[in-house]
Amino acid sequence: MLLGASIVSGLAIGAMYGLLALGYHVTWVVSRSVNFAQGSVMMLGAVLAFSLTVGFGWPMPAALPVALAGCAAFGVVLERVAVRPFRVRGSDSWLMATVAAGMLLENAALFLFGKEPRGMPSSLAAEPLTVFGVGVLPLQIVILVAGVGLALIFVAVTRGTPYGKALLAVVQNPRAAQLMGIDAARVTVFAYALSSALAGLAGILIAPLYSVSADMGFVFGIKGFAAAILGGLENPWGVVLAGLLLGLAEALTTAFAGSAATVMASFGLVILALYLRPHGLFGRAGVRKV
Amino acid sequence: MSRAWHAPAGAFLLALVAGALAFRLDNYQAFVLGEVGITAIIGIGLNVLIGLSGQMSIGHVAFQAVGAYAVALVTSAFPGLFWPALVLGTLLAAVIGGLLALPAVRLSGPYLAMITIAAAFVIEHAIIAWKELTGGASGIANVAEMPLPWPYQGGASAQALAAVILGIASALFAAYAWFRASPTGLALVAVRGSETAAASIGLDPVRLKCLAFAISAGLAGLAGGLFAPLAGFISPETFPLSASILYVLAVMMGGAGATLGPLYGALVVVVLPELLAGLAEYRLLFVGGLLLIVLLIAPDGIAGTLERTWRLWRPARARHLSAPPLDLAAFLGHQAAPPPGAPALEAMGLGIAFGGLRAVENLAFAAAARAVTALIGPNGAGKSTALNLLSGFYRADSGSIRLAGSVVGDPAARHLARSGLARGFQTVLLFDALSAAENVLVALHRQGARRPGAAELAVQLLRCVGFEGDPTAPAAGLAQRERRQVEIARALALRPRVLLLDEPAAGLTVAERTPLGTLIRSIAAAGVAVVLVEHDLKLVMGLSDHVVVLDQGRVIAQGSPEAVRANPTVRAAYLGTAATSAAARHPAVATGAETMLNVVGLSAGYGGASVVRDVSFEVRAGEMLAILGANGAGKSTLLSAIVGLKRPQTGVVELAGATLSGLSAAAIAARGLVLVPEGRQVFPELSVLDNLRLGAFARRAWPEGAELEAVFERFPRLRERARQRAGLLSGGEQQMLAIARGLLARPRVLLLDEPSLGLAPQVAERLFADLAQLAAEGLTMVLVDQMASLALAVADRGIVLENGRIVRAGQAAALAADSALASAYLGGAAPGSAALVL
Repeated sequence: MLLGASIVSGLAIGAMYGLLALGYHVTWVVSRSVNFAQGSVMMLGAVLAFSLTVGFGWPMPAALPVALAGCAAFGVVLERVAVRPFRVRGSDSWLMATVAAGMLLENAALFLFGKEPRGMPSSLAAEPLTVFGVGVLPLQIVILVAGVGLALIFVAVTRGTPYGKALLAVVQNPRAAQLMGIDAARVTVFAYALSSALAGLAGILIAPLYSVSADMGFVFGIKGFAAAILGGLENPWGVVLAGLLLGLAEALTTAFAGSAATVMASFGLVILALYLRPHGLFGRAGVRKV
Repeated sequence: MSRAWHAPAGAFLLALVAGALAFRLDNYQAFVLGEVGITAIIGIGLNVLIGLSGQMSIGHVAFQAVGAYAVALVTSAFPGLFWPALVLGTLLAAVIGGLLALPAVRLSGPYLAMITIAAAFVIEHAIIAWKELTGGASGIANVAEMPLPWPYQGGASAQALAAVILGIASALFAAYAWFRASPTGLALVAVRGSETAAASIGLDPVRLKCLAFAISAGLAGLAGGLFAPLAGFISPETFPLSASILYVLAVMMGGAGATLGPLYGALVVVVLPELLAGLAEYRLLFVGGLLLIVLLIAPDGIAGTLERTWRLWRPARARHLSAPPLDLAAFLGHQAAPPPGAPALEAMGLGIAFGGLRAVENLAFAAAARAVTALIGPNGAGKSTALNLLSGFYRADSGSIRLAGSVVGDPAARHLARSGLARGFQTVLLFDALSAAENVLVALHRQGARRPGAAELAVQLLRCVGFEGDPTAPAAGLAQRERRQVEIARALALRPRVLLLDEPAAGLTVAERTPLGTLIRSIAAAGVAVVLVEHDLKLVMGLSDHVVVLDQGRVIAQGSPEAVRANPTVRAAYLGTAATSAAARHPAVATGAETMLNVVGLSAGYGGASVVRDVSFEVRAGEMLAILGANGAGKSTLLSAIVGLKRPQTGVVELAGATLSGLSAAAIAARGLVLVPEGRQVFPELSVLDNLRLGAFARRAWPEGAELEAVFERFPRLRERARQRAGLLSGGEQQMLAIARGLLARPRVLLLDEPSLGLAPQVAERLFADLAQLAAEGLTMVLVDQMASLALAVADRGIVLENGRIVRAGQAAALAADSALASAYLGGAAPGSAALVL
């Protein structure tokens, strides 16, 4: 019973990590940079959806696209202000710049939205269904389907369509990509918008299970990043799978060893995995010719 | 080195001022001042990590916690043992940091950041979970007071504590300045600059990076140990992850690498929010915004900005240090002849394959001391690969290397460097953050040279290789010739028995090549076995004692320059066969054809300087134009400017009457003006097939079946490798792929930049026949190629560039017949004029 419930909640939260990790993956494969404000963008998604539905009384189907568009817009601005200026110079400072942008967003939310966490009502999280004797919230299924489904779509698009290949070409040789008529700058902006929308979606999906607050994103963002690293960053399958794995490991540790051990176990796992496989569980070193 | 007293004196002054200040403050102010000191100490550690070794940690607060808990736990049991506890905490943090670094240093960027974050979480939660020892979440309240190192009534007040902390911080600032200039500090900066070059002088990047990590973790532990008595109470909440970020911010804001950077950073991060009392709550908002602004407008931080402002007042004077001339032979100490019969370096059957392609096969030759041995061969023959094998940068699949008669057990680059083998790189690899003299000094330290003498020796070595500039100038700003000289001096500093040089004349003017030749002879004369890869055959033939000729990875001939020059196999490899010039020329284009590409008054270049000046020409539909000129004449820059990769300074490009001004390279490609760029411009991680298909992306098509089949007909090698990753192809195959990809764009005008580079002669001939065929089919082309006579054989017209200007234009046949033109502009690279080549 406990095992079943743990697996269900672990997979749901793991799928959410997977969504965040997919967001890190998207910008990494296109631009070799990631958005360390991803956790804050996730919070933005949840806060926007909460404000629109609870504050303004919008129905969720209307609030969802608007909230996601808001996150994507933030991604576009962030790329312009905190990523592109540094990549143009060949500097790694985008790392700290996106951290700074995340701090700004989080503090802005603190002032505008307030400190107290608020519960997000959702019909999907009200009544648990019973599947094989285990209580499952419909929302948990939705999260799992969204996480795995988006990963599937992403793999299908990048592996099977011209636009997907063009996306992958940009980071491998930006100069040659331009000569193929691929606008590298626009592709990078698109990746940041997409990545932020994925984070926003993760925030909106998870909100009813936790609560909405200005600082909800920080730890989620880091765990999503852990999943991305664990999965090898390069591999869309890998990052989602690693997210699920991380979620499961957490839920099972919590169930059987207590919540105090959870963080130690999950991050210990990350360190151990990187000791053994420096490019992640599902990653591989690129072609290297000196 | 005359400024050696600056740092300790400055530190003493700083400590004095801070101490005096501390006793004038109230308790709270003193506490804040103590926090500045603590942040500065962590900052100094992070400065070693970020500023010197170029790594990043977002988890240092964990090491601070380790130090704090060590002190709190020991002193709560044994109040008298504060100082031993402080040492314990520092060491403990350093050990944990060093261990953590073991996997982390193999990683970079986001992976490294992740490890540090994960470690911080694990340590934080371990403290919470281990209640019996640490008090869990409720922390430790009875931290003993710090026993002061001087008699003071009434115990350690906040003021006294702040003074002690700032005193320690001041000493650490001086220690940092000393460390930065020490052999280890220089080595750290060197590793950050180029791990490849660092390995070539025998440095061990992993060990050095671990050391930097351990030092920075240790200092964070020390800061934590000092923090415990200052705060009097510690708990896991005292050390939130956000504090880690704050520390990194402090270092970057202050100016990473600058000695006093962490002080400025600590003042901004700790004091400024306190001064703006109303804003204390907005501290993170404030710091986040400030950091973003600093990163954007002053990447070198407050220290860098201060320095630049100061330089406006007092510009740095170029220093022309003089040094007595160096007796190179005496310095190298190779007077004792090597054992008779054993050459300095022997390659014994070396071979390596990349993705199934044998790049070098059964390479065997010997290089004697006091002699120059040259490796030559056409482009793509495997010369650079051979050099990388000999210097341990590639691991051979077969064969072995002998140095002075004994087989090298572990031929890794840094072991070879320690056994007396030094090398230079094709694209000079210097440690750009170090000065010219420091570049040499890092290598000298590998030889155990004592510090005072070493600095002068470095300058002497620089003068010895003909470097006349300022030895204290940063390497990043040196001219190509000077960079080459510094690299050779750095290699010589290792006192090598064998020196490998990869195209040392590349990028040098003709006038600069003669002194280079003289230098190489003098190095050999001093007892070194010099092995040279070089394209300039005139230089090679005049310089070498022994010449080894490679073609397609194999040695096809070796011997004296005269013998090699007369060898028919060698001539065939370089010149190709007579079939070359038979490439058919298609019928002349009717003069009435419309103008496809029109270039008017185009100038382009780098920064303010123009590489291409006021170039105008037109290409009519169906015509093929050859652009000729020596290396560096501006051909590639001209093509880049035409297709929009480089924004022209002046001038207009028109395609079929429509201007392309202001369009991006992507938009220009989509309009049908397609460039096949020089070199290996493929997408290495995508399959050959996907590379080809992306060629058609400009017209938003995704070719299948028949269209790809046509390409494979033309380039059968690509069919065999269709499913392989493009990065695994040989240079020549990648070149074919790039051309095939260009054709799939169905261009209105196709520009080809050096398409024959890296192709074997037969393949190059086949390619030119294909180009002639394409021209006959009516494709409009612009061709830039070193093989000028081949290019003129297939082109309708030609233009000749010199120093970025058109100096000749005319019908291809007329240009080809002009022998004076050939010798003046086509130099040694013109096939068909054997006398010039060999």
